Amino acid sequence: MVRRDTINELGIRAGFMLVVYLTFALQLPNYHTATGIAALLDGAVLIGTVSVGVGISMLAGEFDLSVGSLAALTGIIVVQAVGLGVFPAMLVGVAFAAVIGALQGLAIGILGVNSLVFTIGSLIGLRGLAMVISGENSVTIPIDHLDEIDFFTDRYFGIFSPLSLGMVAVFVLFGLFLRFTRWGREIYAIGGGRNEAKAAGVPLLRPMVIAFTCSGALAGLGGSVLSLRLGSATPLGFDTLLLSAATTCLIGGIALDGGRGNVIGIAIGLFTLRFFITGVASLGAPYYVQNLAAGALLILVIAGQIGFRALHRRRAFHRA
Amino acid sequence: MNSLRIVADRLQAGSSGEIDPNVAARRRRAAQIMLTVGAILLIALGGATTPSFLTFDNAMVVIRQASVTGIVALGMSYVTISGNLFALSAEELAILTACIFGWLMRAKFGLALSLLATLIFAGLGGAVQGAVIGLGADPIITTLAFGGFFRGLASVVSGNQNILLGTNAAEWLGTARPLGVPTQSWAFLFLTPLAWFVLQKTRVGRVLLLTGANREAARATGLRVDQAGLIGVTLLGICCGMAGISAAAQFGQAVANLFQGLNFDVVAAILVGGIALRGGQGSPIQAALGAAFIALLENFMLLNDLSSGWRMTVVGALVTLATCVFHLLQRRR
Amino acid sequence: MQNNDVLRMRGIAKRYGSLTALHGVDFTLARGEVMALLGENGAGKSTLVKILAGLERADGGSIEIDGQHVRLRSPVQALHAGVAYVTQELSIIAPLSVAENICLGGGEPHAIWTARALRARVQPYLDLVGLGGIDPAMPAGSLPLAQQQLVEIARLLSRNARILILDEPTAALSDAEIEMVKSVVRKLAAEGRSIIYVTHRLGEVFEIADRVTIFRNGRSFDPVPVRNLDIDELIEHLLGRRLEQMFPERATSLGPPVLALREVTAPGLRRPVSLDLHRGEILGLAGQLGSGANAILRAVAGVAPYDGGTIAMRGRTINPRSVREAIKLSIAYCSDDRKRDGIFAVRNLYETFTSPALPRITVGGLLSRRREVQLSSELASFFEVALSRLDTHAGKLSGGNQQKVALGKWLGIEPAILLVEEPTRGVDVGARAEIYRHLRKLASQGLCVMFASSDNQEVLGLADSIATFFRGRLVRVVRAEGIQPEELLRDVTHPDESQPGMAA
Repeated sequence: MVRRDTINELGIRAGFMLVVYLTFALQLPNYHTATGIAALLDGAVLIGTVSVGVGISMLAGEFDLSVGSLAALTGIIVVQAVGLGVFPAMLVGVAFAAVIGALQGLAIGILGVNSLVFTIGSLIGLRGLAMVISGENSVTIPIDHLDEIDFFTDRYFGIFSPLSLGMVAVFVLFGLFLRFTRWGREIYAIGGGRNEAKAAGVPLLRPMVIAFTCSGALAGLGGSVLSLRLGSATPLGFDTLLLSAATTCLIGGIALDGGRGNVIGIAIGLFTLRFFITGVASLGAPYYVQNLAAGALLILVIAGQIGFRALHRRRAFHRA
Repeated sequence: MNSLRIVADRLQAGSSGEIDPNVAARRRRAAQIMLTVGAILLIALGGATTPSFLTFDNAMVVIRQASVTGIVALGMSYVTISGNLFALSAEELAILTACIFGWLMRAKFGLALSLLATLIFAGLGGAVQGAVIGLGADPIITTLAFGGFFRGLASVVSGNQNILLGTNAAEWLGTARPLGVPTQSWAFLFLTPLAWFVLQKTRVGRVLLLTGANREAARATGLRVDQAGLIGVTLLGICCGMAGISAAAQFGQAVANLFQGLNFDVVAAILVGGIALRGGQGSPIQAALGAAFIALLENFMLLNDLSSGWRMTVVGALVTLATCVFHLLQRRR
Repeated sequence: MQNNDVLRMRGIAKRYGSLTALHGVDFTLARGEVMALLGENGAGKSTLVKILAGLERADGGSIEIDGQHVRLRSPVQALHAGVAYVTQELSIIAPLSVAENICLGGGEPHAIWTARALRARVQPYLDLVGLGGIDPAMPAGSLPLAQQQLVEIARLLSRNARILILDEPTAALSDAEIEMVKSVVRKLAAEGRSIIYVTHRLGEVFEIADRVTIFRNGRSFDPVPVRNLDIDELIEHLLGRRLEQMFPERATSLGPPVLALREVTAPGLRRPVSLDLHRGEILGLAGQLGSGANAILRAVAGVAPYDGGTIAMRGRTINPRSVREAIKLSIAYCSDDRKRDGIFAVRNLYETFTSPALPRITVGGLLSRRREVQLSSELASFFEVALSRLDTHAGKLSGGNQQKVALGKWLGIEPAILLVEEPTRGVDVGARAEIYRHLRKLASQGLCVMFASSDNQEVLGLADSIATFFRGRLVRVVRAEGIQPEELLRDVTHPDESQPGMAA
């Protein structure tokens, strides 16, 4: 009954995505060429990866504000550690970000402090650390290592790059994790009804730590792959990442109060946002208009959700 | 007779096991003690180690630095106290108002009209957010969205370039030092007691406090709950407007990269000042003290040649520490 | 019988401050039986089951399960010992599937949860609770309340619960759902599990229970087999000591009608209700949870607006759509949850007392400290709250004083009608008498008071007229002098009713 509702809801969201797509696709001929799709996928990697993490923290009924800072910090660490080789450096960076996330999850779980409040401290502090480590300047990959990142521009099946394949892997892996493992279901449980979960005997700390570890690690992953691809990282980067990730999750139907939504929704949200942004951009709007558009889109989504909720409540009331 | 009753009441309260100690008062006291001790230690340390720290000129620098953050923090304290956590759009709204003010001045609307229009716009910018939050949207996400929108709008208004005011009519607002004290600081010093007065002594302020303390009870008491949130965010908007105008006036131009990190400085001021984030408690004065303390700390670190990265790290650590300490204080019986 | 006892509780004592909830109570439960617990509010039965469920700690006494001495200090420990407690507040996580709800937090060994594996695991328990036909993969939140309750029972069974405590399981259910729950209870008992069934509906006792333990004033009687039970005897046993001295004199004469309800239908009511409330009258709506008594108050107060019939105040039809509108009509309403919406726990009493009447203490937008002190002192002294406590936080007060503040604040708007749910819930005996006296004083000054209560003593002692409610229907309206405690108890519990829904 409600499963059909879920599918319907995803359908509505996918429909919205298609409308956004068609709006621009009709005007832009190269929108659906292989190159266009590849560019679209590549452009989605950062936000997509980080959105999965932010989405997981939202599913747990929490919110991780620190993802932007953590992505910047990890990007700097990875670029500076690239002498170890690309993959070891990435491993170091992601492991570091996961540890930071785990620590945040531990603190939030043990203290029971509001995660919005707690992560604002780490948001400031981690950004500071990024500046300290980088000496407040952009850091770049040394020229003799540049050839090691060439493979980022490889193409598979015409449309995938290693990065976009990685993103797909992230979606699949975390989708399976959330859907089919006990730990994943515990995250839904503490988000869908914290008190009920507690009464049912679900341990609160474990899903909390796992959720923040995921959001930290994925923020780190997103930050490191993007910095590696660009060949440089700046301590002040990724400042609009949080906004984009939150927009993606909300469009994708991840409920802010937790427990509802899934990775497919995040993917739909991601492409809705990307279609919209790239569409606006390819119509010739400067990048700052894209910010304006992204903000306006999120405002629209928030307003739409309020309206939908009000309608739903009225209907439920009349049925009762 | 009366005293007997009090004793009886106490026994009753003690025995029923549901006493909730005077948490807020203790928390405020703890926050004030910690802030005072911290400030004294900092001043002592600064005075002992840093020659230029305890000078009149430096005091003025600290005060001015505290002022802009402080003015916005006063507005933010209204948002927090009315039960809406905090807004992540203060920085962006300040930038936007700076650009609008610059644009109006450049278009020769005259100082008075420009000021008025900018402040009205700033208030509207807050009110729109307050209205959306009042409909039941999450305050953080809503303000995050509006933040992105405002930043984009600021770039559009300015064409992503510096807006030169083209006149020095507003210069006085930004740079003058009546009696040796910068205008922003005068505004801060004047607004702090005003903010306190409005919250404590007016009906509007009372509705705000009660709504923040217990939204359900406020609604059941017939108070205009939705208005309280609206007023809080609107006042924050006006404070952002003042910050924006002062910056545009000070530099003679409006730039899109003004106010770097203002959101976090302001939230830090609220948290370090010890205002409870669940609302209904605390006072704008705590926000002002928090802003002053952070300015003092930043200044001390600056004079000791700490890079901005280190300063940010320290502030972040301080915020985390304050969050945890106050949270634990609140939780302990 | 002795060897068949699965649970033995001896000399269980519990005090809450000055109030003794249990005076050394004995209780036994046999394997495979359904034991009904009966008693008026405050008789001690919920305290006993909470101790058994590990939610409260006894001050004295011993508990044996299967002859083994056990300590039950937390719900987890209790569940380990085989005791499970099902309350009105279910711990069902709505977005998760039925199967996941059963397995989460339990000992499910595997980390990979596919729908098929979970189905195999939970099916036996679902069969046991009569939910064999539903799809375990459907979200639990989409099930009706009764089935959610059964899912909760299935979860507890999956963790080896042998003693199930069902606390008023049928209070919020429809007739068909009640039948479902009852048949599950019988099935579980036939399986050898023991059930403690707490209820206010005497009719159910005769249908389902094997034995009954009656509680009165913190003591328990020896269990009685249901087949030996006589209704009149049962009712006599149930009625506690009457505290006549707690209650003030009744009104000598009533004024003209102020509020008239005609054929009102509202959420929570199954039949239209007509009632009159007179000036100076205290009208008590007696009924247990789910009886519809609260629904009347909420309709008049604008919390859950009524959808049929008319409510007229002094001859004019009113239909408040919100609490604000009701307040403008001089209707004041105190809900049964004062912590949630009655007081401002972190603000002081001055502010709480004056919160509904801000216009009265405002001069030109500014609060007048003088008027605020004056008004709150006035209200505080009316309700005998010590003036010296006015600057303490409302959350710091005892339950009794909090209730006085929650009630007293409404006097500031000089209401014509005062609606109160459960006027003395969580209030100790001394403060109760005071609250009754104050309510009577208000009525004698011309206010109309309408209160809903599940405490029959309170209704009998305080009200001038009594309206009795049972399962969404008004049973009758009588003058308080015209009804005996036994009759009232019958009205709100319907012991003679073998088929629910068919009222006498």
